[in-house]
Amino acid sequence: MALIYDESQRQIAEECDRILKNAFSAPALKQLLEQSGAYDTGFWDICVSQGWPAIAVPEAAGGLGLGLSEQGIVAQACGKVVCGAPFLNTGYAVSEAIGRFGDAAAREKWLPALAAGEVKGIVALAEGRAPLPKAPAVRFEDGRLTGTKTAVPGGGAGDLAIVLAATCDGPALVLADLSGAETRRHLLPTFDNSRLAADMAFAGTPAQLLAADGIQAARTILCLLAVATAHEQVGGAEAVFASARAYALERYAFGQPLAAFQSIKHRLAENYTLIELARSNAQYAAHNVDDPHFARYAAAARIAATEAYDTASRDAMQVFGGLGGTWEADLHLHQRRARTLAVEIGNNLFWEDELVEELRRAC
Amino acid sequence: MRAETAIQQYRETARRWLEAHAATHGAPARRGLTPEQDLALGRAWMALKYDAGYSGINWPREHGGQGLGALEKLAFEEEEMKFGFPTDYFAVSLGMPVPIILRYLTGDWVLERARAALRGEEIWCQLFSEPSGGSDLAGLRLRATQDQATGDWRLDGQKLWTSYAQYCDYGILVARHDPTLLKHQGLTYFWVDMRAPGTTVRPIKLADGSDHVNEVFFDNVLVPDSQRLGPVGGGFKVALETLVIERHHASDPAGFGPALNLFVREAAAADVDGVPLLEDGRVRERIARNYALQNGLRAIQARNQLMLGLGMEPGPEGAVNKLVSARARQRLSEFVLDLRGAAGVTWEPSGRLDDWVRSWISAPTGRQAGGSDEMLLNTIAERILGLPQDHRPDKGVPFNQIPK
Ligand SMILES: Cc1cc2nc3c(=O)[nH]c(=O)nc-3n(C[C@H](O)[C@H](O)[C@H](O)COP(=O)(O)OP(=O)(O)OC[C@H]3O[C@@H](n4cnc5c(N)ncnc54)[C@H](O)[C@@H]3O)c2cc1C
Repeated sequence: MALIYDESQRQIAEECDRILKNAFSAPALKQLLEQSGAYDTGFWDICVSQGWPAIAVPEAAGGLGLGLSEQGIVAQACGKVVCGAPFLNTGYAVSEAIGRFGDAAAREKWLPALAAGEVKGIVALAEGRAPLPKAPAVRFEDGRLTGTKTAVPGGGAGDLAIVLAATCDGPALVLADLSGAETRRHLLPTFDNSRLAADMAFAGTPAQLLAADGIQAARTILCLLAVATAHEQVGGAEAVFASARAYALERYAFGQPLAAFQSIKHRLAENYTLIELARSNAQYAAHNVDDPHFARYAAAARIAATEAYDTASRDAMQVFGGLGGTWEADLHLHQRRARTLAVEIGNNLFWEDELVEELRRAC
Repeated sequence: MRAETAIQQYRETARRWLEAHAATHGAPARRGLTPEQDLALGRAWMALKYDAGYSGINWPREHGGQGLGALEKLAFEEEEMKFGFPTDYFAVSLGMPVPIILRYLTGDWVLERARAALRGEEIWCQLFSEPSGGSDLAGLRLRATQDQATGDWRLDGQKLWTSYAQYCDYGILVARHDPTLLKHQGLTYFWVDMRAPGTTVRPIKLADGSDHVNEVFFDNVLVPDSQRLGPVGGGFKVALETLVIERHHASDPAGFGPALNLFVREAAAADVDGVPLLEDGRVRERIARNYALQNGLRAIQARNQLMLGLGMEPGPEGAVNKLVSARARQRLSEFVLDLRGAAGVTWEPSGRLDDWVRSWISAPTGRQAGGSDEMLLNTIAERILGLPQDHRPDKGVPFNQIPK
């Protein structure tokens, strides 16, 4: 019953917060901003040692056999500390894709390795501006991939990817092993470099079919990833909002705390409202992962979370005055991450369309 | 889990019962009725509920209620809301005035009032707001003067915005008994008989054509001291107590306006010069944003009800509901008129819940009644986020010396 967290779920949340808080280092994160191709290995080591990549992997495959709610709880904690690597959620998406669509051999080969954090999974569905391209330029033929996916999150260091690729029977979802020399990665300079966005050129990359109806399968996985990401966005929004609230209480102007000025108070109250709506949407979607209407709950969670994180980080910088926009104040970590998470797995234009199509079908 | 099934069963049984009466007492039966006829139907509906055991669901049995919990009440109200029954007249009455008199008075008389109110035979109103005090409730000026010999009181002044006063038998009222005291200390609380000599009720016509709110004038109205609730000078405290007495309300993510799927249906069926409206990105954005917002509110509601069922205290985030749903409803209703083109101006006033024009034209009052947007933001900021109060020039100053 994850609409309200049970005892063990609350424990997971507290444990994650505690561990990540101790590991959090703004200077280290800012250093990552200034170089391309590096991620926070310390953070990823923590994830692995805590068993977080195993959360949603079935127990039979070496996982913890938990679900999207637990994945979300951890993602939310990671969001609070602007975590320095994308693989927890992308790996979750890859595990889900293999678990749902892979054959026994694929499950045996990859799930234990993903669960153990030995293999980092990434998601390469989008092309150009389309999160789910109807006619992908990347092709899958005779067990090999050719063509290029641009700006793949985690592309700089992923070991295994789910890819939406064209076949003679239309787009298919395939699983690509990135360990060989057939895959060339071109790291992109970005405003949030630890996300490791890279163009990935496939020149005969070995791959196997997961689902022939690629769009439908990819959409299913994208919805799961959207809900996990929504939790991460909510975590980020909560953290940046907490900074703004604290600053508004301690900073004085005109003889009183900033927080006593109504425009500041109301801004914070509006932020709180957006965050609560986003948090509740995300929890609700995770709780209803097996519901026939899951796709619309996922889209709603994604839309609300993007709005909440963008707004909370924008407004926090306003509350901080001139300080807000400085390298020193750390708020730009959230400013960047809010936008990165907003566009990485389909922007709100995409998710709005997804949602409207779902609702249209119902009426 | 067990508790959840029990409540689901309660809801299911209630729904079946409500369905059985929808045709005779719900929205279809109300079409074309005069206000008097509608009120009569409402009274009949309340009596029917009383006899069926659906009145005062979470009130104690000794007060004529069912002795059940907030969950059952919410479940029933949520189902009842779907059929458009004429319950509006009784919502204030049973929500605040009657529960507060049951708390402060004992004996047969008050029990008889409770029974009559539950059955819809009598209605109570809430006479708090005045021309000088709405948001600023303690800014009210209506004078209560005590006769030193008898101890009884005389009321002089005006109340404003009193919902359904024209149909009411009784009311609860806060008055100023001493303007030389500090603002919040000079208030005293009474119940009043709306037929007492010197009381005049004048309906106010609102923008949507309805006239359920009133101004109420008190001209030397005699109120026995036995009608005082709480001590002399304790009026503000009793008023606050009144406002929080009914903590769990059924809420509507659509802000008590038309449901979002009506919007989707209307957009899906229409085109502009051959271009389907539902293909327009601006229309799509509105739909998606409103869905996300309403779904968030539904999620909060579902979670809070689950917590209630487990005997836990629901989180404070329920407070965002009225704020966001009322203004979202206003904007969406406004937008429906755009969708309809120049013909968007056509309207035959109706009291119907699914009427977008009515929803739009009455939305501004929805953003004031029961707490304005700004006051709700203050509440969230101060109570939930622990931020400081506004600068308050009225603090620590005798009422009659506060700038006005
Ligand atoms: C349809 C309807 C039914 C009602 N029914 C009842 C009833 O049955 N009984 C009853 O007692 N009252 C009732 N009311 C009154 C209602 O509670 C008040 O209208 C409401 O509290 C606002 O008060 P006001 O109208 O005096 O506006 P004001 O208090 O004068 O406010 C005007 C504007 O200023 C803003 N404002 C005020 N103070 C602040 C502040 N501190 N900070 C920022 N902004 C501020 C408000 O948000 C508002 O937008 C009803 C009102 C309506 C519209």
